[in-house]
Amino acid sequence: MHSEWLGLIPHMFLAGGGILICCAGAFWAGRSRNALFIIAVAAVSFSGISAGLVAPEKGVFSGMIESGGYARFFTFLFCCITLLTLFFCHQYTNIRERSGDVFLGVMLFAALGMSLMAGALNWVIFFLGLELLSVSFYILIAFGKNTRLSGEAALKYFIMGAVASAFLTFGIALLYAATGSLNMALSLDIAVVTPEKTLVFLAMAFILVSIGFKLSLVPFHLWTPDVYQGAAAPVTAFLATGSKIAVFAALINIVLYAADSVLQQLIPVLWIMAAATMIAGNFAALGQQQLKRLLAYSSAAHMGYMLMALPGVENHGVEAVIFYAVVYALMNLGAFGAIGLLSSAKADRNGKDFSDLDDLDDFKGLGYVYPFKSALLGVCLLSLAGFPPTAGFIGKFILFKAALSSGYIILSVIGILTAIISVYYYLKVVAVLYMTNQPKTLHSQDMGLMGDVACASILTMIVWIGLMPSSLINLIYRIVSFLYV
Amino acid sequence: MILKILLSAILFVPLLGGVFVLFLWNRPLVGRIVALGTALTDLFLILTLMMLIFLSGSMAGAMIFVDIAWIPQFGIGYRLAMDGISLCLIFLAAFLSVLSILVSWQEIRERMALFHFFILAMQTGVTGVFLAADLFLFYLFWELQLIPMFFLIGIWGHENRVYAALKFVVFGIFGSLLMLLAIIGLYLHHGSATGVYSFSLFTLLNTPMSMTVQLWLYAAFLLSFAIRIPVFPLHTWLPDAHTEAPTAGSVLLAGLLLKTGAYALLRFGFPLFPDASGFLSPVLIVLGLFGLFYASWIALAQKDIKRLVAYSSIGHMGLIVVGIGIFNALTLSGVVVQMINHGITTSALFIMAGMLQQRAGTRQIADFGGLWKKMPVYSAFFLLFAMASVGLPGLNNFVGEILILVGAFKHNPWVGFLGFAGIVFILVYMLKLVQDLLFGEPSKEFDMADITPREAAILIPLAMIVFYIGLHPAWVLGILEIPVQNIIDQAINTVIPEMITQ
Repeated sequence: MHSEWLGLIPHMFLAGGGILICCAGAFWAGRSRNALFIIAVAAVSFSGISAGLVAPEKGVFSGMIESGGYARFFTFLFCCITLLTLFFCHQYTNIRERSGDVFLGVMLFAALGMSLMAGALNWVIFFLGLELLSVSFYILIAFGKNTRLSGEAALKYFIMGAVASAFLTFGIALLYAATGSLNMALSLDIAVVTPEKTLVFLAMAFILVSIGFKLSLVPFHLWTPDVYQGAAAPVTAFLATGSKIAVFAALINIVLYAADSVLQQLIPVLWIMAAATMIAGNFAALGQQQLKRLLAYSSAAHMGYMLMALPGVENHGVEAVIFYAVVYALMNLGAFGAIGLLSSAKADRNGKDFSDLDDLDDFKGLGYVYPFKSALLGVCLLSLAGFPPTAGFIGKFILFKAALSSGYIILSVIGILTAIISVYYYLKVVAVLYMTNQPKTLHSQDMGLMGDVACASILTMIVWIGLMPSSLINLIYRIVSFLYV
Repeated sequence: MILKILLSAILFVPLLGGVFVLFLWNRPLVGRIVALGTALTDLFLILTLMMLIFLSGSMAGAMIFVDIAWIPQFGIGYRLAMDGISLCLIFLAAFLSVLSILVSWQEIRERMALFHFFILAMQTGVTGVFLAADLFLFYLFWELQLIPMFFLIGIWGHENRVYAALKFVVFGIFGSLLMLLAIIGLYLHHGSATGVYSFSLFTLLNTPMSMTVQLWLYAAFLLSFAIRIPVFPLHTWLPDAHTEAPTAGSVLLAGLLLKTGAYALLRFGFPLFPDASGFLSPVLIVLGLFGLFYASWIALAQKDIKRLVAYSSIGHMGLIVVGIGIFNALTLSGVVVQMINHGITTSALFIMAGMLQQRAGTRQIADFGGLWKKMPVYSAFFLLFAMASVGLPGLNNFVGEILILVGAFKHNPWVGFLGFAGIVFILVYMLKLVQDLLFGEPSKEFDMADITPREAAILIPLAMIVFYIGLHPAWVLGILEIPVQNIIDQAINTVIPEMITQ
């Protein structure tokens, strides 16, 4: 095999696994309940392992897809996210008798989209990745097909996603018109010298708008709470972590390519968006009485924190953002995953009501009924609030260090003040979990092995990164240092 | 080398023991005994450390210094430093931690494993603050304390506990996060000025800074410390937290958490920002004095015993702040002694209030009276600690107060005079409390038993320390003399202390 193709092995595992699952769903009627789950887990694991181990000499596939350290790191991260989501889904779907075929396949396709976005060198691949991701998520969100909320959420996400795609296509077209290139780095380089200033300006604005939609940056964040609330909790976990980090990975690429060119003109816009997102996200979360909506606004706010450090390319802003992306993935996967597990426990109890736990009142005193699952939720909330010794603390520390060393003092102060507000609403949830009494007595429920594994691994990682972040920091610094070469 | 290992052991034994207790969740009594054993072990380790230091004869303010790379990319190290001040305070921490576990023996009957885990985690957090010589590590422990206390108040507290717990954390985090920015700012400033990027306290001590930069950074540090101490306008979280907390929570809060604020101001605030802190120290003195009077005045109107003691705590801390603001050798020795004293007497008063609440189910002063007839031993102890708190000569608080006052007179007679007047004010409401509780006619009938042996085992060591420091302060003052001089050297002459690095 040509060495160029080696870089595509992780993608092939994901695509192959997805296709296999879809075919098996159609043609293999006598399959056992867990067969497809095992195929999905295997495909994702192999993809992740190959992303981690196989280092192609030539880091680029026909000038389109990067397969160097950066792309491989993110592919590995997306595989981990997908794997954990699969684990969280296992019991959730079993109880709801929807451990269906398409669902798992679509998750693999979504992971493929994510990894394409992180590796995109060409605007077309970027667009393809984003579309693959979005289309997969339209399906995943609509997955809870007999609840009204999930249909509404899927429709909302679809309309918003379609608009965002339209903006992106148009932006890419304009950029091509202005620069004559679809190569991301080249087009951004030409963008500085081209006389077509208006076109470049419009193109960048359109692309930023579409990215803003996907990252739910203010003022494009309004879909987030409804969609997060409507989707099934494990899907929300996947949406909040995978899709956002994928878009962020692409945005980091754009910022790096643009570092010597158009970035300077973009900085004021990024500054304002970061400030607005941190303020609006945290203030909106403050008034929420439903946990998923609260976490939706909080995840928007976290995008603001990441955006705050991003422009400081020379001052390790990019490294800080990548580190935080990892931490963010753990925290939000854990939080939404825990909601899913707790909801499963509840569904087991009632036998009929399959909707997720959502009102804060639903969580009263659960800390003592389901200690392990609630501990996951509690630790993730403390980590989101940025308390040591969790990973969230180190992540915030590195972000603010990067922002301050780039000289964004006012932005950092805004960030830290909004972080203080966020502490209140996160701890409000913790207080509900542990400081109120459950009105009825419940029986502790086994959450299934998969849920246990996911819980334990996220808890371990959050504390481990919180205490010993050194090796992860080293790895990220090395990856980014290769990007500049 | 042994000393270094011992120091780390002292720091982490409580936390590890706490995690172990967590695994004993279905065997509460065993867990409780393990927790007590852990706390006692830690106390024993500290006493061993004291012995070793005395035997080596290097008590002369020399430090044990641990420096292990932790996150080398950012110049963050696991750096601990211990001198006489830290030694006294970590002893206090271990001692009060043992007492908190003993105090809760009857009071806490639910979720015991979790409770003991938080108590022990709290001890590690406080000990860490007293030992950290790296700003990042210091900040980590500084914020780490908030979480156990949040749960201690929120889970095992009284009626209004969730409100008090949230208020406590939000106040705490408000200061800390701004301080985090200032710490990073200081680190970057030092790095860009000297090329050395490090969070080590001793590296950062002589950072060249303009007055403006110093003032901004110091303001953020001061805000955080002032909330924790608490200094007058930032104190409103404290009465709520104290009143709602279980007895053990109040003990840890008054005895340890408040001390971390004063200690940090002494160890980090003044030495790191000598000019700015000198410039702002009149503000500290004024706020401290004002707090002393204000808190005493409010305390006079309190109907709830714990709330009254909480306000008296603010008053006492006001005097400590005055002492730090004046910043001479006399007042600083006084301040450290007073920190220990306040930890002992205020904790004792909270413990005694807790005993009353457990017997009668109420904390209202008006519900009690004539206790001397029913519970003579209890009343005698109460009187002793109340008198200690007031500063009766021969008891511990007198030593600290007189040192601070003499230092204050040297600095400015008016400050000394006002400080003295404030202490008289404390006398007023403490005597009123004693009279209302112990004497007069009982207004309600409660079935009140006198002190049990367990309670005696809690109160007698406290009383012994009260007498010991009151009658023979020379030993403690001897330990403190050189460390205090070191801090003054750092803050005024920017001299870096000699360190032992075996």
